[in-house]
Amino acid sequence: MKETPVLSSAEKKELRLKRIYLLLPLLSLALLFLLWILAATGTNKDSFPSPLAVWERFLLIMKRPVKDYTIFGHVLQSLRRIFSTLVVAWITGISFGVLTGWNRKADALLSPLFTAFRSVPPLAWIPLITIWFGTGEGSQMLIVYTGCIASIVVNTQAGLKNVAKMYLDVGTVFNASSRQMLFQIAIPSALDAVFAGVRTSTSAAWMVVLAAEMLGGKSGVGFLIVRGMDSLDLPLVLMSMIFIGVVGAMLAVLTQIVEGVLCPWTRKKSA
Amino acid sequence: MSMDEKKIRLRLEHISQSYVVKNEVRCAVDDVTLDVYDNEFLVVLGPGHCGKSVLLNIIAGIEKPVAGQMFLDGGRLLKSDERIGMVFQKLALMPWKTVMANVEFGPEVRGVAKGERRAAAQKYIDLVGLTGFEKAYPNELSGGMKQRVGIARAYTNNPEILLMDEPFGQLDAQTRYAMQEEIMKIWEMEKRTLVFVTNNIEEAVYLGDRIVLLTRCPGRVKQVYPIGLPRPRDTVDPQFLRIRKEISQNTDLAL
Repeated sequence: MKETPVLSSAEKKELRLKRIYLLLPLLSLALLFLLWILAATGTNKDSFPSPLAVWERFLLIMKRPVKDYTIFGHVLQSLRRIFSTLVVAWITGISFGVLTGWNRKADALLSPLFTAFRSVPPLAWIPLITIWFGTGEGSQMLIVYTGCIASIVVNTQAGLKNVAKMYLDVGTVFNASSRQMLFQIAIPSALDAVFAGVRTSTSAAWMVVLAAEMLGGKSGVGFLIVRGMDSLDLPLVLMSMIFIGVVGAMLAVLTQIVEGVLCPWTRKKSA
Repeated sequence: MSMDEKKIRLRLEHISQSYVVKNEVRCAVDDVTLDVYDNEFLVVLGPGHCGKSVLLNIIAGIEKPVAGQMFLDGGRLLKSDERIGMVFQKLALMPWKTVMANVEFGPEVRGVAKGERRAAAQKYIDLVGLTGFEKAYPNELSGGMKQRVGIARAYTNNPEILLMDEPFGQLDAQTRYAMQEEIMKIWEMEKRTLVFVTNNIEEAVYLGDRIVLLTRCPGRVKQVYPIGLPRPRDTVDPQFLRIRKEISQNTDLAL
């Protein structure tokens, strides 16, 4: 005889709550969309494009690329720019953070310079970089670099300064060399912090690259948004903004997944 | 066999440790002189914060004493020594390493070839009953299992003297009893000189060949009790209870 599964009232309530929590985010998105439609119909078509106009602009750019690239091409250009910069920033930033976080003399010598550097907001570097190096690819990457280097250094440094004494004691008892202390204990235990830096630097790079591309770039979403502004093509501006938001969110999720793959112990803790 | 026939492995002479806390010198360990004999199970018993852990940290080379000397097999002991192993109170398993990687850490640091250290680690993983969990991460294990990993890690490095710093302090009572039996079993199979720190009188009487009772802060040696009871010991045996009572009347340990 087969029993039909019977849910207790508590279980039923939980199931209902689960559905509600899934529905609420959709509801708020739908509301935003509705507001957009209402606002667009109430105002001048040229100053506030409707969702439909943005959709049509999307179809148009897929058919007739702007400066050789469709919207996806521009997104890829921006991504290529940030990731080639990020690789350099990660290598230099993690090395610098490990050095100053682990070695007290290096910390005393170099950290004041770094503090002075990072007290200047990245965007303040733009005039100097543009005058010295122009607006080419190299300058854009340099601007992105100034925007993302601080978070990776600060997080790595903090991670290495805060290695639990307990783990270092284990190293002492097992007679580990200072090299083993660093590579076998300190760096692995700081990996969570390093990854926090990787995540923050990625999102910072994605924001700063837009500013860099707005200054005389020839491709990328930043360029596209300025092109839209200059030609009063507001659907293009809005469409670019939506892509910027979606890609930014996807980058955040992606870095989280990469962390889970590279540091499996953090993943299993949350499960 | 009388005491003076036994071989002395580890000797502490007038060991003192103090710290400066808020411009005030606080003494943690005061003039401890102690011999540890070959293959004995020595229990250091004392109230919380009486410097028991400090004493172990000094033997392990984690801290340097402000006064006193230590000798291992007659030679001066000045820093951490691979003949001395330790099981930590706070487990101190590395969360980024699997059970296997944690257990083989000692030989890995010494540069032992992978095959050889794996075999040694596997032996002790099996011995503590963690077969099948080699690839698990510490945070997937229960408290008792984690401490088994800590014990296996210490044994795998093949130390001659093993220090245990309240290893079962954070376990629930049931797991604690099971682990006490376990550690007794391992000690009888793999004879080592063991220095075991606890604040639990029953645990001390159950495990120790000798019990060194420390005073409340600063820690001084108050009395040494040889425990002659046969093993395995019965915690409700009248003899056992008598010794337990005798010790508890001599200390302000709550029990």
